[in-house]
Amino acid sequence: MTAELYVFAAAAVFGIGVHGLLIARHLMRKLLAVNLMLSAVFLLLLLFSTPIGGKPDPIPQALVLTGIVIAVSSTAFALALMVRLFRLSGRATLPRFEPDDD
Amino acid sequence: MIGTLAVDLLLVSILIGLAWQVVRGRVLFRAIVFFVAFGLIMAMIWGRLGVPDLALAEAAIGAGLTGALMLGAFRRLVEIDARQAVSGGLRPSPRLSLLLSLLAGLLVAVLGLAGLELRGGSGEAGRAALDSLHLTGLGNPVSAVLLLFRGLDTVFEMLVLLGAFLGARHVAERDRRSGAAIASHRLPMVGALQMTVVPLALVVALHLLRAGANDPGGAFQAGAVLAAGGVLLTLTGRVVPQAQAGLLTRFSLIFGTLMLAGSGIVPLIYGGVLMAPPGKTAIYAIEAAMMVSIGVTLSLLFSASAGLRAVRS
Repeated sequence: MTAELYVFAAAAVFGIGVHGLLIARHLMRKLLAVNLMLSAVFLLLLLFSTPIGGKPDPIPQALVLTGIVIAVSSTAFALALMVRLFRLSGRATLPRFEPDDD
Repeated sequence: MIGTLAVDLLLVSILIGLAWQVVRGRVLFRAIVFFVAFGLIMAMIWGRLGVPDLALAEAAIGAGLTGALMLGAFRRLVEIDARQAVSGGLRPSPRLSLLLSLLAGLLVAVLGLAGLELRGGSGEAGRAALDSLHLTGLGNPVSAVLLLFRGLDTVFEMLVLLGAFLGARHVAERDRRSGAAIASHRLPMVGALQMTVVPLALVVALHLLRAGANDPGGAFQAGAVLAAGGVLLTLTGRVVPQAQAGLLTRFSLIFGTLMLAGSGIVPLIYGGVLMAPPGKTAIYAIEAAMMVSIGVTLSLLFSASAGLRAVRS
């Protein structure tokens, strides 16, 4: 019952993340949305594991821990790129490409 | 039983509400604050699911440092141009994106429920890890998996962190060196705060490092707490960003990776096997080196600089 509840939570958070990624204009808002989606995936990854002898499986825990560190690394790099883009172009949004724009 | 379900329901509804606020909140600054709160609720959920290692990591790294990095970048944007022109920009219509996100959520729900059905497998890797735990001298299986059984993954994880730092360093402005501090440490209250929190962060980091062998904790959590101290020192102007890194800074960035990779390779020289488990003392040394590297890297990522220099008071 508890696991199903948290699967529902992960699905809701992932959906909200997708929504945020799509509708956000500001790149930082898009990054926040991606981080929400990451949290949902981590939650699912742990929920899928089978407890061994009443204790949670250590392998998925280690994988999620690695994932959390990778997430903060990529977020930091993405933020640096965003600040640079803003400094150069004065915008913190993705440019709109026109189809006949080459 | 009803009581625990109520707690779960409460946590889940707060989590979803906060996620919605992160995405739909009107002001970006508030969205970041809600994101930090979201991370803390995630940490509580990890605790509820019986994985305290992840709770610690989420609170320190997911909520704490990601939040600090976001707020730091937000401040840089405001410094460049407070108006934050966000008109234009590529996005689908709200109705289409709502439909797509509903479909994505539905997909994850179906996959998630199917994944729960598939549970009850043997979990062989985890069982093998738990069975050979006594060979490592460690009591915390997660630390054993990270440092020994899947040590190669962790080497690459450290390299990803280093790569992110080098990338961020490369795109950051080279001549920016001042303007990181928001309140001088010479102000009495700020100085008192700093004198309380920074040593506390150091003590907590060392405790997490020591505890990590047998109890929840470890190098990553400890490094993140150490970096929290670094963030506070940067914000109070006790250390100032430098355009060039000193030799010590450069070395401490790769110290952890070198120790971890070295501990795997060195047994080969003595005719042992690759990545043979070192003794418990060696594991503490590796974890301490990793803690220093992670703390320094994350602190430097926050200050967006190559190095930090202490200011004499």
